[in-house]
Amino acid sequence: MISHRLLLLCMLPMLWCCDGLPGKPDPANRYIRPTEVTNFDTLYSMNCSGCHGAEGKLGPAVPLADPMYLALASPIHIEEITRNGVAGTTMPAFAIEAGGTLTDQQIAIIARGLSTRWGQPQSAEVVAAAPPLAVSQEGPPGDPERGAAHFRTFCGSCHGPEGRGTARAGSIVEPPYLGLVSNQNLRTNTIIGRRDLGMPDWRQVGDRPMRPQEVTDIVAWLASQRVPRPSSSMAN
Amino acid sequence: MAEEHEHEHEPLPEGVPPVSRRGILFNLGLGMNVIAASLIGIPIIGYVLSAVFKEKAQQAWIPLGRIDQFPEGQTRLATYTNPFRRPWDGFVADIPCWVRHIENDNFQIFAINCAHLGCPVRWFPQSGLFMCPCHGGVYYEDGSRASGPPPRGLYEYEYRIRNGHLEVRGGETPNLSESV
Amino acid sequence: MKIFASIYQWLDDRLALGRLYDQSIGHRIPASASSWFYVFGSATLACLAIQLVTGTCLALVYVPSPEFAYASIEYLDYTQPFGWLLRGLHFWGSNFMVALVTIHMIQVFLFGAYKYPRELTWVVGSTLFLCVIAMAFTGQGLRFDQDGYWGLEIVMSILGRIPFVGMEATHLVQGSPIISGATLSRFFTIHVFVVPAVIISLLVIHIRLVLLMGISEYPVAGKKIDPETYREDYEKLVERTGERLMPEGGGKDLVFTALILTAIVTCAVVIGPKIPNGPADPSLIHTVPRPDFYFLSLFAVFALMPPYMESFSIVYLLPLSIVILFAVPFISRGQERHWSKRPGAIITVVLVMTSLVILAYEGLTSPWSPHMNAWSGVPIQPQFVQGRTPLEHVGATIVQGKQCRNCHSIDGTGGKRGPDLSGVATRLTYNQLVRQVLQGDGNMPAFGRHLSPYEVTALVSFLHTLHPENEPPSQNSAPEAAPPLSTDPY
Repeated sequence: MISHRLLLLCMLPMLWCCDGLPGKPDPANRYIRPTEVTNFDTLYSMNCSGCHGAEGKLGPAVPLADPMYLALASPIHIEEITRNGVAGTTMPAFAIEAGGTLTDQQIAIIARGLSTRWGQPQSAEVVAAAPPLAVSQEGPPGDPERGAAHFRTFCGSCHGPEGRGTARAGSIVEPPYLGLVSNQNLRTNTIIGRRDLGMPDWRQVGDRPMRPQEVTDIVAWLASQRVPRPSSSMAN
Repeated sequence: MAEEHEHEHEPLPEGVPPVSRRGILFNLGLGMNVIAASLIGIPIIGYVLSAVFKEKAQQAWIPLGRIDQFPEGQTRLATYTNPFRRPWDGFVADIPCWVRHIENDNFQIFAINCAHLGCPVRWFPQSGLFMCPCHGGVYYEDGSRASGPPPRGLYEYEYRIRNGHLEVRGGETPNLSESV
Repeated sequence: MKIFASIYQWLDDRLALGRLYDQSIGHRIPASASSWFYVFGSATLACLAIQLVTGTCLALVYVPSPEFAYASIEYLDYTQPFGWLLRGLHFWGSNFMVALVTIHMIQVFLFGAYKYPRELTWVVGSTLFLCVIAMAFTGQGLRFDQDGYWGLEIVMSILGRIPFVGMEATHLVQGSPIISGATLSRFFTIHVFVVPAVIISLLVIHIRLVLLMGISEYPVAGKKIDPETYREDYEKLVERTGERLMPEGGGKDLVFTALILTAIVTCAVVIGPKIPNGPADPSLIHTVPRPDFYFLSLFAVFALMPPYMESFSIVYLLPLSIVILFAVPFISRGQERHWSKRPGAIITVVLVMTSLVILAYEGLTSPWSPHMNAWSGVPIQPQFVQGRTPLEHVGATIVQGKQCRNCHSIDGTGGKRGPDLSGVATRLTYNQLVRQVLQGDGNMPAFGRHLSPYEVTALVSFLHTLHPENEPPSQNSAPEAAPPLSTDPY
């Protein structure tokens, strides 16, 4: 018995030593099935960073790390967009049922993780006074004519009075551009701006913040500049 | 020792072939062992080769799911269970395939295996391409070869529709010697 | 001490230990054969010993069924005491064994040691080499992770290219029409019973041949082998300068073997075993299969060979190269052994090894494979976003969204299959870009069916901005009819 215990005593430090060895596989590096990945950073960098930027900004698509965007956008809305994509735009559907690769749980982790990762508390007054981010059918519809005037007031100094672009910012009335973005995207950009790229949000575009109806009008004017989408020459 | 003794006493006459009882016994023993060995060997060979020469039914119709699980105009991953699975096969019996629902009852079911060397091709709906991670084979949405080393398009399974269910004729991994 | 002596006497009387010693590790070798160049064979043998012992231990836990193979590997890694270490020893033992057996062959080749009268030693040794490779491959399959599974699938596809009996060959090796439990059992049987038995039998013959022919003396430039007199000369040489392998001649072998064993243990302890990369579930298609390092060069060959050559190479060139390996002593029949008189041998080794290393490097980086996650997971760098118009931003999302990045890098990140796009505007004009995107070219698929005219315009507008600041984008020599952006080209 004594020798047995002695042997065990000798073995214990060996086992302990083994645990500290660099070659011992770390359970943390264990393979995880793609549908079971739940780490926000992994999910974001694998699925979103391509267009929305490595740090949620300075990508070609909406900067998801903008704290004001995160304060105004509802996670449910972001989840819905992530799940089904936005038809007619380059935002693809990520849900498995929609032909993507992410489970509902993973989409929820991404949508909710954005605020945890990049959100900052915004003053309640600003948020309350901000134009609603979501395009809605309620309320008076936008008036393109008034929208054109508001555009000249608020946007003209950079995008040009007609929206055809200046040295400071590019055109936003090209038919291909308007044909490839949703009204929601136009509205989001008008309200949030692209502060990572130097475009101010609705509070800083003019002498005073834009009013909700003015935003709706500008989007209506932009939408009215769309020309019917040409059919694909090769798809037929 | 006794044998040598015997020979000493009865030397073989000149010119007579050395056929002795021992010689016959040796040849007989050799022959019997050849027969015994083939008796043992034939079933062993049959056992090992049975994978090749078993009855030709190596494919069967397997349900893939209801048709409405496959939205028209889209390509989706589906899995069928190997009809010849053995109880211990685990998940290697779950064979994936790409189902392209063209319209109505018009489908294409592609094997997951690249026609080059069998790696799993992945479908990218946005660009309408299948891409292979091994050697860079690329296929169009209809399975035809787009680029890379594959010598042909993707392998297609036969399919049929029974009571609103899509069925695939599977059970054999396709390769260049024979398409499914 | 007297007791030991009498025990030895008793044993020697019955087991002929003295004679066994004289004929094996005590046999006399030429003094020149005790060289640092002659240590690789015995080191390979030591690796084999490690593999046999660790392999036997691993088989105590490993379960050769698809349902549990992967789980038992994970059990070895995380639960079984010292399991990971034994896996590490077995993994690194195999790496060292493949490396050492290769070096051993190169040494024998360069020293002309396969020449008269040792041709059959080479032939048996080459078979052993193939057995070692077979062990490496089947061992990788037994890990039964995604690399292992798809590695099997690749080999089955290679077998499928054999004319007339391709399908039969595949089914024979798989044991069923699909990779299944039968396949794993076959590979287990081959890895654990068949090939080890063949290796041990051949090793007995190999060593018997070495003892029978004697270890080749260190080659001397200009000294020719004459089959008439060689054996006589060799005997005289052994008589004149000979010493026993152990303890006189083999000290270097012992030292080197000990170093190799230490290196294997160090690698196993510091780097550890190869972590299996996910269970062999064929429906997990998010996988990028890569073989272990010994097969990377073969993996690369299949990507780089022109497609029309592939089946031919698999069916004819691969077996032919094996035949050539076996035939080395019968092709190279010159009487000179020293490498300085055999430039052909040196060129052969340099060429073969350089190609293998370059191919393995290519296999490791696999520039021909699409980067499957680049489209959603490799960002467009900020410098290609800043200062762009809204339309160009949409174009950039199309570059991502249409999976262009899977094959094309921008400033070095992304797939490497196609050219890097960061300077593409200096190479192609606007209209050439449109044509290239719509119709594809060479290795590029045509995207026309999956791009609307608006998308083409946005995409090409963005691509057209990809040029260095001080280098303008290329333009048609004739002025274009109208600026492409303001009028729709369709």
